[in-house]
Amino acid sequence: MTADALPERPAARPIRRSAPRTLGPIRPRWRWVETKLLLIVAAALLVGSVSLSGGLTGALALYDPQTLSVYLAALATGHIAFVLAGRRTDQILLPVMGLLGGISLLLMQRLPQDLVTQHWFGNEVGLAQVQLVWLVLGIAITSVTGIVVRSDSWLRRYKYTWAAAGVGLLLLTFVFGSEVNGQRLTLSIGPFSGQPSEFLKVILVVFLAGYLSENRSLLMEQDTRVGPLRLPPVPYLAPMVAMWAIALGIVVIQRDLGAALLFFGVFLAMLYVATSRVSLVIIGLILFVLGSILMANLFDNVRERFDIWLDPFADPLGSGYQVVQGLHAFARGGLFGVGLGNGLPLINGNIPIPEVHTDFPLAALGEELGLVGVLAILGLYLVLVERGLRIGAAAADDFRALLAVGLALVIGIQAFIIAAGNLKVLPLTGVTLPFISYGGSSIIANSLVVGLLLALSDKGVEPPPPPAERSRWDRLRRRGAA
Amino acid sequence: MAGLAGSRHPLGKPIVRVAVALSVAFATIALAGGYWGVAQAPDLTRSPYDAAVIAASRTVPRGRILDRDGRVLAQNKRDANGDLYRVYAGPTISPVVGYASPRYGRAGLERTYDAELSGLAGDPLRDPFRKFRTDPYDPKDLTLSLSYALQRAAARALGTQRGAVVMLDPRTGEILAMASSPYYDANLITDPATAETAFKGLLADPAEPLLPRATLGRYVPGSVFKIVTAIAGLGSGKVTPETTYPQQPAAEKDGLVIDGFTIHDGHHPATGSRALDLVGATEVSCNIWYALTGLATGGDQLTKYAERMGFDAQIPFDLPTAISQVTGGKGSQPGGFSDDVELANAAYGQGETFVTPLQMALVASTIANHGVLMQPHLVTGITGDGGTRTIGPTQMSTVLPVADADSIAVAMRAAVEGDLGQHYTTGAKVPGIPTAGKSGTAELGGTGEPHSWFIGFAPADAPTVAIAVLVENGGRGAEAAAPIAGDMMTLYLKGTTP
Repeated sequence: MTADALPERPAARPIRRSAPRTLGPIRPRWRWVETKLLLIVAAALLVGSVSLSGGLTGALALYDPQTLSVYLAALATGHIAFVLAGRRTDQILLPVMGLLGGISLLLMQRLPQDLVTQHWFGNEVGLAQVQLVWLVLGIAITSVTGIVVRSDSWLRRYKYTWAAAGVGLLLLTFVFGSEVNGQRLTLSIGPFSGQPSEFLKVILVVFLAGYLSENRSLLMEQDTRVGPLRLPPVPYLAPMVAMWAIALGIVVIQRDLGAALLFFGVFLAMLYVATSRVSLVIIGLILFVLGSILMANLFDNVRERFDIWLDPFADPLGSGYQVVQGLHAFARGGLFGVGLGNGLPLINGNIPIPEVHTDFPLAALGEELGLVGVLAILGLYLVLVERGLRIGAAAADDFRALLAVGLALVIGIQAFIIAAGNLKVLPLTGVTLPFISYGGSSIIANSLVVGLLLALSDKGVEPPPPPAERSRWDRLRRRGAA
Repeated sequence: MAGLAGSRHPLGKPIVRVAVALSVAFATIALAGGYWGVAQAPDLTRSPYDAAVIAASRTVPRGRILDRDGRVLAQNKRDANGDLYRVYAGPTISPVVGYASPRYGRAGLERTYDAELSGLAGDPLRDPFRKFRTDPYDPKDLTLSLSYALQRAAARALGTQRGAVVMLDPRTGEILAMASSPYYDANLITDPATAETAFKGLLADPAEPLLPRATLGRYVPGSVFKIVTAIAGLGSGKVTPETTYPQQPAAEKDGLVIDGFTIHDGHHPATGSRALDLVGATEVSCNIWYALTGLATGGDQLTKYAERMGFDAQIPFDLPTAISQVTGGKGSQPGGFSDDVELANAAYGQGETFVTPLQMALVASTIANHGVLMQPHLVTGITGDGGTRTIGPTQMSTVLPVADADSIAVAMRAAVEGDLGQHYTTGAKVPGIPTAGKSGTAELGGTGEPHSWFIGFAPADAPTVAIAVLVENGGRGAEAAAPIAGDMMTLYLKGTTP
């Protein structure tokens, strides 16, 4: 059987090698779909900028054209880079991300600039300028990742190393992190600070994709019976659950509910995609509900979040203030919104939602763009996820498929968690709205996700590693095929 | 690129299912967006907690508040800095109109109608484009059914005594006067120069002048509650106007014993061994007849009829109301009574029964309007750019049949005008006009003076005014409350006080 299998391999190679293995001679390739979509994005942002100017100053002109042109130039540069690189990658992801980032930029321009101030090279820069830097950096990261990454073996082979790095990152935060609002989320090293959980989510997806693709058949085909439940063999599930429990445990210690929910959701979805086992998802959900009840009983700030969620109007000026003001913002927006720059009435010179730029951007957009705008933004996230899932479904092997699915779901589930928190569907948690919330870690991590998705969408990449380095599953499948 | 469903990849199916699950999750968010952004929008955008309502209150002149004769009760002035503040016609309206202060928030009608007065209350569904106008504010003037003259007369009648007067038109539910005593001067709270000291002083005052007693004070009703018992008894058909109890005359002398508890009366020298019916028992305020009627009616019927008149719930009204109760409601007997003793005591207003003066005015109004209770309201018109929106009478409930209500009206007339009755209700009669009513002396236990109550209406044959008067620790009903009620009804019907 093994001998029969060997001659087949060369036949498969030419297909996989249709694209150049190295950068080699650059062969530019027009991306007309991307060009057209980016032109629409640019037009939408220009209209938005004029509308913002009308709302804030009453003048029908571009609002702060310099900032917007820097952003559009960054998008155009990314696009041209993709054209020049000539890879056959997805043409929809970049425009969608560009529109979300542009909406973020308009929102940050519209908010009071002193919400965030940083001193760079002796200059004081405000909210929109800082966000512009992150957004441009994000486009750069997406482009570089999408163009340069051709092999996935560096992700596939070192999955345990990545997992260890992720856990180490969290431990560092736990020991050296600074506490904000009862949560230890921010890690500061020298002048840099960031939220490690944003990067940890990417690492988690890489690890899960690696582990699940390698052990997929075993998880699917063998059973351990526990009462009426049919579980996969425990030894194969254990390392993954342990990895997940460590990540979740540290997150629990940090009191970062949103990240815990996100990790759990992504974990369950990937587990389901890999095994098709609904029983695992149900067990996971039960465990999650039990864990939530336990956490609500153990930690005061978790219970408070639950209480606020159940009835924010019980204390509309105290603990429920932000959530209530967020709901009021949606209500003021109504169907069509009050227009960019016309919402968020000032009380004593302050905006009604203090954390609007990080936790409540959707509420601000709901007020100024209305339900129509909120639906459009939700639609953009769904398009992102749909592209990612398509990339996964069309992927050449299980690792790439699970990686693409996981990366897409990270963005989709995160957007869901915070949007649901803003609209009182779930308790409010501190995760960011991808590409729209203010914050460097969030934008860079999500840009990396889109970059990896772009790389994975390439129709021709380096072939998988030689057989010796392959997993047991691949060898089994190869034998089975022969 | 291969389509999702068409993919031959073994992962294709679960990926499609995950995509469907996430789409459902996003659809939930879209629905929630519609719920808060559209369905709940009319309520949320009028709420006093809405940031736009708060912001507008500081920059836009509020609408005025006018009484039923067009007299201005509330308007705006500018202080030395040019900031707006509220000025009120006088302190007697404060328990109703309340105040609107940037510092101490809102109370009374200023709170309930904050969105209308500040001009933001356009219905976002009916007028979706108002917010795009350069001047999106449309402050509205409120017209009240309240008469400032009657309000001042009622406050003057209460004088230094603590208590409340609620006067309404039983045919429409329009509140004519709603005085509470002691009251406060809202001008001192809104005037930036005096706000801080005034507000601190009011909070510290042991007489609680900030409490609008007419709507938020809960009191033992005493005998005025007998009208509720009569309504439940006749309405449910458990008793008739002719019902007499053989054990009643016998028990007058030594009291009626129910499960070991003795109910006393004070009228036996006047009625002797006569067996009383509805009219007779109401005229002399017979506790024993009403206790027996309560027992015959049963706790569930008593509570049911009381609830038709607004008990056990917030009365739908322009101001927040305290909830009146027939019983604590924790007992195991029908209607939530703990035993027959509690029920018998409640039947003449001395059980676990607590009521607001507004609630008792509604009881009087029910009888006056022949068994149909009109919803009480203060605001009759809201005037803005788009004209005036009139708020007309609405029926709150049909409580009992016309014939039964009119039987009780006859009994209440006897309580004011009968040979015996007039001694219990001295001063309640409107000279020359048939008057009906019922006094109450709410025993509080201990050594304190009882609360003095009166509810009634006039003219008894075609009522145009119903009233409830409460004087805290005022003594017997006839001593404090009844004369105030008589004077107020006379003033309303004849234009002068006797």
